[in-house]
Amino acid sequence: MQVPRAPRFLAGLFLRVALALAPVIAGLGDDAARAKLVGAVLSEDAAEQVAVVRDLVSVDDPVVLRSLAAWRLGNLYVWSPPDGGAGQPFLLEGATDAEGKSAAIRVADGSPLRDAAGTPVRVVVADLSVADTSSKVRRAIKVVLDLRAVGDPDPAVRRDAIVKLGQEQEPDYLPHFERRLPLEADPGIRRSLAEAIAFTRLGGTDPAVRIQAVRTLAELRSINSLGYLRKLRGQVSPVAEPELRRAVESALVVLEDYVWWGTLFGTAFRGFSLAAVLLVASLGLAITFGLMGVINMAHGELIMVGAYTAYVVQNLFRSSFGGSVAVQDAYFLAALPASFVTAALVGLVLERGIIRFLYRRPLESMLATWGVSLVLQQLFRHVFGAANVQVGSPRWLSGSWVISDVLLAYNRIFVIGFAFAIVGLTWLLMTRTSLGLQIRAVMQNRAMASALGVRTERVNMLTFAFGSGLAGMAGACLSQIGNVGPGLGQNYVVDCFMIVVLGGVGSLPGTVSASLGVGVTDQILQPWLGAVMGKISVLAAIILFLQWRPAGLFASRGRGLEG
Amino acid sequence: MNSPTQREYGVVAAIAVIGLVVLPLLNGAVPESSALHLTTFQLGVFGKYLCYAVLALGVNLLWGQTGILSLGQCLFFALGGYALGMHLMLLIGKLGQYHADIPDFMVFLEFPKRYPSTGGLPPHWIPFRNLGFALAAVVIVPALVATAFGWLAFRSRIKGVYFSILSQALTYAATLLFFRNDFTFGGNNGLTDFKVILGHDVNQPATKRALYIASGLLLLGTYAFCRWLTTTKFGLIQRAIRDSENRVLFSGYATAHFKLFVFVVAAVIAGLGGALYVPQVGIINPSDMGTDKSLEAVVWCAVGGRGSIVGPILGAIGVNALKSYATHSFAEQWPYFLGILFILVTLFLPDGLVGIPARVRGLLARRRPPAGPTPPPSSSPS
Amino acid sequence: MSTPKKHFILAMEGVSKAFDGFRAINDLNFYMDEGELRVIIGPNGAGKSTMLDLITGRTQPDRGRIEYGGDTDLTRLNEYEIARLGIGRKFQTPSVYVDHTVEENIWLSLRGGRGVWSCLFARLRPADRDRIHALLDTIGLADRARRKAGTLSHGQKQWLEIGMLLAQEPRLLLVDEPAAGMTDNETERTGELLLSLAGKHSIVVIEHDMVFVRQIARTVTVLHQGSILCEGTVDQVQADERVKEVYLGRKKKAPATVA
Repeated sequence: MQVPRAPRFLAGLFLRVALALAPVIAGLGDDAARAKLVGAVLSEDAAEQVAVVRDLVSVDDPVVLRSLAAWRLGNLYVWSPPDGGAGQPFLLEGATDAEGKSAAIRVADGSPLRDAAGTPVRVVVADLSVADTSSKVRRAIKVVLDLRAVGDPDPAVRRDAIVKLGQEQEPDYLPHFERRLPLEADPGIRRSLAEAIAFTRLGGTDPAVRIQAVRTLAELRSINSLGYLRKLRGQVSPVAEPELRRAVESALVVLEDYVWWGTLFGTAFRGFSLAAVLLVASLGLAITFGLMGVINMAHGELIMVGAYTAYVVQNLFRSSFGGSVAVQDAYFLAALPASFVTAALVGLVLERGIIRFLYRRPLESMLATWGVSLVLQQLFRHVFGAANVQVGSPRWLSGSWVISDVLLAYNRIFVIGFAFAIVGLTWLLMTRTSLGLQIRAVMQNRAMASALGVRTERVNMLTFAFGSGLAGMAGACLSQIGNVGPGLGQNYVVDCFMIVVLGGVGSLPGTVSASLGVGVTDQILQPWLGAVMGKISVLAAIILFLQWRPAGLFASRGRGLEG
Repeated sequence: MNSPTQREYGVVAAIAVIGLVVLPLLNGAVPESSALHLTTFQLGVFGKYLCYAVLALGVNLLWGQTGILSLGQCLFFALGGYALGMHLMLLIGKLGQYHADIPDFMVFLEFPKRYPSTGGLPPHWIPFRNLGFALAAVVIVPALVATAFGWLAFRSRIKGVYFSILSQALTYAATLLFFRNDFTFGGNNGLTDFKVILGHDVNQPATKRALYIASGLLLLGTYAFCRWLTTTKFGLIQRAIRDSENRVLFSGYATAHFKLFVFVVAAVIAGLGGALYVPQVGIINPSDMGTDKSLEAVVWCAVGGRGSIVGPILGAIGVNALKSYATHSFAEQWPYFLGILFILVTLFLPDGLVGIPARVRGLLARRRPPAGPTPPPSSSPS
Repeated sequence: MSTPKKHFILAMEGVSKAFDGFRAINDLNFYMDEGELRVIIGPNGAGKSTMLDLITGRTQPDRGRIEYGGDTDLTRLNEYEIARLGIGRKFQTPSVYVDHTVEENIWLSLRGGRGVWSCLFARLRPADRDRIHALLDTIGLADRARRKAGTLSHGQKQWLEIGMLLAQEPRLLLVDEPAAGMTDNETERTGELLLSLAGKHSIVVIEHDMVFVRQIARTVTVLHQGSILCEGTVDQVQADERVKEVYLGRKKKAPATVA
């Protein structure tokens, strides 16, 4: 951009003076402020316009603020009276009516724009002449609005404004930060303010102040200033400014250490969270495939059934109790058991209708269940449409928890907790109930269990239904972290099978360890290789791992195999 | 022992004459106005079925004959297809939309910046300008991938469903890889818009006819090879491995070597089928190599009758003809149909369509009192 | 001149094998002469099948040495290499190729080319055919040569598998519970078959049925908790107090099956 040097310099100088004076002229009356703004809008001199805009930083008048925002966006207009008098800047207000006309408000006093007869005029946008503006004016307005946002009632707006202004290292902003600091109640924003102040001071020239600022930034664990500090290390001469240099270096040690731990913690969290997702998705398969030896290619579709059940429960809640936030919070608690039951029923039908005929033919059961998966996918596409459906999140699963600059999303934390819960439940079922005892008996020696009076048919049925139900519950859980569509199951099925095979078929601890291993490895590899290559590497690693331990991590005891 | 009946040879010969001589004549020699005329489009569709039948024979060699269910056969099919497709892409030359020396997608993806020394062509594409190299790659690339994967899997005794699951993972990983633009094979669009093959316009009826006949010959050759294999000691061992692998192993046969050999041969068969598929269909992309496609090929085998040699051919052509009809008339219902067909065949027709006569005979025989001397009652008086 | 060192057909020395901490074979020492017929008995879980797995290369021992024919260490070889050395194994459940004819079952087991290429171009020679028929006569299945093996009765499958083993012309035959599931008549014929083979081959038989053991056994080895409890004739073994202790019940049952 070619901008003449002198005016730019002058504008900058002007701006600084104006800003420095801003607190002094805080008492500027609203009428006077409006008059100044009107003058500036009509002025031809960009430098003057910028100066006036800067002056308005401490004015609270809503008309002025709205006018500034409108001016910046090109929504401020000028009405030139037919008699050739001074132009009158005005804003549009309210919605356009049937004729496309809006009410007009004068910037000068906030009153409606009136025609000669004194009646308020209504105008059409297309007929109006827009108030002149320039990029410099717009930038100045932006800064003014940002500085005002430092005191905005909305904490998110405040934080964003503070972080952004702080990055500019503009000493003129310091008074604004410092004025806000004692008023600020939110601890997070107080920290941002302190960070912005220190960072701005670091941009100054006084060595003592800068050293103090560096130390403060290190104390604040300011990740945002890391890049600048690294640059500074290269710029500060160890001979000319040894103390500053030392301060910068020790701050960098602290910050880099902090970032390293943060990255580690973040990777670990993402790894655990992916592991939990994998575990939740494959636990049902660990039961049906691992314990029963059924290759259920429709496992993914059972997950899908669960996810859609959550969707249906949500819609039922909305239609029965209305769409309030409380309903949204509550539906999910009902969706979990509902998903379990629905998927378990589907599993029951699947077992009774198809799988029980194929226990001795595992490859065939794989093919038949693939047929089932095709049918189920198409069925859901028919009923719910091919597009993804919206499954809302309760409030307690939205947002995230921030620890040391690491974001822990609540829904991810929930999945981790959920994984623990269902693994625990499954373990209790298998070891503490008579059904679990029967399941283990049947899986170890079907003929013997049958001879001892265990109803193996019934046990098969219940085991399969239980595994299917787990898959369904996984679907409800996964609806909180991903899309719900007819292809949902396909996204998980390969991973699930790999997890169960890697863990060692029939081993619950194996499934848990395999999920953990794959989840964490994937997250460690991802920053280097990207998501897709990371996934491919993990698959390749699993294939190679099985060379070493063909039966998986936790192989069931291998005695002499026959036949 | 196990020699094919004269009748099967007769039927195959008759079908070969109809397929290789009559149908091309109906397309080329019968005037378009005639009711007997076969359009070039239809002939192309038949050519596609023949390639699928070749694929199905490979699946059957593995699954039906050796008991190895691979969910990665379409990966090899696609690898063969990609190998020839690369050659065809390079033949497009300046006929493409960008009128560049390199394939369109390379211009679009700004390959000239990545490979400035070759004008944008990735180095491994260069030898594919040579038809001989491309044809060799059609055989060698699937064979190499199959050797590497098969060696790892069979060496560590991964068998049965575990092999299926691992082959599924391999295919899944390969699909992910081919979907990537920087893998240099056209990303999710794959290779398409071919213009010429061997100096002939790919869209000319004569070219299409030649490709169709080539597919027919490939199928006939593959059939003959598979048929021959069943008559050898190797064929016996294949089926012995399927029925009792331990017995074979403890008889002194290195079953892993046999399985690896079959796996590689099946991969090469699939690759050849894929190579002829690509110029006829005009496109190859990563969705052609996915596990669901491989499973579909398994369906053809199961429906036709695995274990036999004609069954898979019958299944591949039959199911695909039905699919073409269905996608015209009731596209929405096709997945239901395919899924249910598969469930029913697995449950009630383990030997597929070709097994029906034997089943019927079996049912009839059970009704009638057994002929010949009655065997002694099984429960001897005590 | 020193006396030549005695060559055992099979010598297992200090062999141990554990699965996940469970000691299936525990410091086992086992010696067998060429041409001997040895019966191994022992309660369930004594390690009998694991012992066969170790000899045939199915599993590798954690410790110890398994020597075959006096000069070959089996612990470094895999199943098919061991089979090619002349060690044949019959499984507990009959494993024959059900989809092949009886003839073909034997053909595949005959000595000869075992490689992929040789099998692609192998032809059935007249000499092979004669050998197949001789073997079928031995196992009494000559009239069923063209039948599919899947159509045979349980006992016939057991014999076919023994025939397949013989086709390999093994020096050492390992037979796991050949009489399981057979009728008394079939059991007796199986015993006669094994006795007729002893001398020409060295045979290890694992068996539970004491009547059958009594019929065939010269030397019996009792396996208990992965090592040898005692060795001797049937009478010696049955009189042994330790055997009575670990085997209580089974010895009493034996007379019952005689009736």
